[in-house]
Amino acid sequence: MRFDFDPYSELGISPTASTDDVRAAYHRAAKRFHPDHNKNPGAATQIADITAAYELLLDKGKRRDYDEQRGLINETEYYFQFRVTCSKRVVNPLNETQVIYMLAEVLPDPRALESKHKRDSRLNLTLILDHSNSMNGTRLDKVKVAAHQIIDQMQPDDILSIVSFNDRAEVIIEANTVKDKAALKARVSMMTAIGGTEIFQGFEAGIQQNRRFLAPRLVNHVILLTDGHTFGDQEPTISLAKTVATEGIAVSAMGLGQDWNDEFLDQIATVTGGTTSYINSAGGVIRFLNDHVRSLANVFAERVQLSIAPDTDITLESAFKLLPAPQPLSIDTGNIPVGSLQFNRTIAALFQLELPPNLKPGFRTVARFTATGDILTNQQQKYKAINDVSVEISDETRDDNPPTAILEALSKLTLYKMQQRAQEALERGDVKEATRRLENLSTRLIEMGEYELAQQAQAEAQQVAYTNNLSDKGRKTLKYHTRSLLLSGSSQADVE
Amino acid sequence: MKLCPYCAYQNREGYFYCEECGHRLVGDGANATLPTKKFDVLTNQFARSTSWGTAYFADQSLIVLHVRDAAEPITLRPQRRTILGRYDSSSVQKPDLDLTPYGALEKGVSRIHAEIQRNDETLTIQDMGSANGTHLNGQRLIPEQPRVLRDGDEIQLGKLIAHVYFKSGSAPL
Repeated sequence: MRFDFDPYSELGISPTASTDDVRAAYHRAAKRFHPDHNKNPGAATQIADITAAYELLLDKGKRRDYDEQRGLINETEYYFQFRVTCSKRVVNPLNETQVIYMLAEVLPDPRALESKHKRDSRLNLTLILDHSNSMNGTRLDKVKVAAHQIIDQMQPDDILSIVSFNDRAEVIIEANTVKDKAALKARVSMMTAIGGTEIFQGFEAGIQQNRRFLAPRLVNHVILLTDGHTFGDQEPTISLAKTVATEGIAVSAMGLGQDWNDEFLDQIATVTGGTTSYINSAGGVIRFLNDHVRSLANVFAERVQLSIAPDTDITLESAFKLLPAPQPLSIDTGNIPVGSLQFNRTIAALFQLELPPNLKPGFRTVARFTATGDILTNQQQKYKAINDVSVEISDETRDDNPPTAILEALSKLTLYKMQQRAQEALERGDVKEATRRLENLSTRLIEMGEYELAQQAQAEAQQVAYTNNLSDKGRKTLKYHTRSLLLSGSSQADVE
Repeated sequence: MKLCPYCAYQNREGYFYCEECGHRLVGDGANATLPTKKFDVLTNQFARSTSWGTAYFADQSLIVLHVRDAAEPITLRPQRRTILGRYDSSSVQKPDLDLTPYGALEKGVSRIHAEIQRNDETLTIQDMGSANGTHLNGQRLIPEQPRVLRDGDEIQLGKLIAHVYFKSGSAPL
């Protein structure tokens, strides 16, 4: 018997529904999400649970068992809240396509905050540290200090492993509970900067360490810190990242300085639900690593995934995670990993969908959103929440102000997209367009009071005009700083 | 389609921010191509409408500059390049129009603050990298980027606010 989903909400019916209702509801749902009708990857992930719900509810015995046991579970177990807000509740039918935004938010159970159950989550943490030649000097020193502080922070039952890599990987600390802190620190101190950068070697060794204690009750997390480009081994690294994502390991990447491959590290983090950070000075390493590890110790639910299945006539265009760490999400997979849900935080993601022209008036569904995750303190860890989003199609023009949260997110997201488009234009070789986009970005940043970033955009616009290219530093600054604008408006607070 | 009031880019319906220039397309900001001008008593007699004035600047025209809170307007015949700023005995370059008598020092006007350039039949204004910036009709200018100056425009150098009017004819200075 499965208790990790609610068959009634899968089919969108009440617990008192008759067998005929169940049948009718299943046909409605199948029409919306069956792969024969709906090619969206999100729909494919929905249909399995919908069918399972249908089969369970048709079987009278199973349905009775489910009802009885579910009631008991609901009283003792935690859940998370899942809200989806539309940019418009009333949509006017038009003879052209139109865009609609949906803000999906996952919040921890309010009861869990007060309860005595609350405790620090147990960590299974692996640090993969670059000790190539370029890390020489302050950089490696700061990394060591940061690693020491992390060792100090760890609880006795937390599991830590540290792998260092250059052209090859070396296990500095084997995965185990943190007992003799002084000895572990001494081993970290012996790292010296030498050799080149080959990420795959280190990554694989780190994953091996993490896998030793990999368990659903733990926060299994790998942090990769590098300052250089890796050559030729991107493909195996990303495919390994995809594998470990299914095993329940999240990977966060930190790039130090200017010379690392941001797209590559972004990809690793995105497929596993981790985050990417840009640290432009060696001094920032300590704070970034510590903050990150601290956030892992306060987890309510792990391996949270969002899934969105738009109705057959509606297109999902893009997805962007706003909180806790802003980054673009990939919409090619049915389940989108978004990382861990902390006790006092929210996970929020913004989706952009396109509605077709000539919609029929009336109420209609637009998409089904689901959020799944493992609630660490629950007996039955897996939890799934469903949100079927509907809008009213009507000619009436109502003074329907879009939700402030969506507007605010979009005002910042637009800036991120502007720099993204400038870079895309550059990749196409369209220098004129790139310059124009950067200048527009700069103007907009000034109006929003982000003077430093505006100057950077302006400087990069000139750089592009002269050299047909962005500077490495400018490119990363614009990308990660416009991203971090999404964090409650303060650009400098979270970026070193 | 939704036309951006700032850059005239055609956005898809449903967008809240222009894809091209990033300006807000809906709500309060949507129609505000220019902020409503505020005229003080002295300049009020010149206020005919809040729409854009002409950009045409004839051969013999003059600029009349009404600095807010100043008793007398400044009249000047623009050269190819006219630098507005604040004269300082220690600075090498003297601005073409010294705003010191109008409280430039207290109002944060830079020594070389902004420049009015004369083109064939138009004027442009650009910020010269001033410390406190130059605003044209409430919008901050990007340094070194010229913008067209029109009859009736409001310029702000630091905290010094002035209105620009074009005066035709060859009246003596």
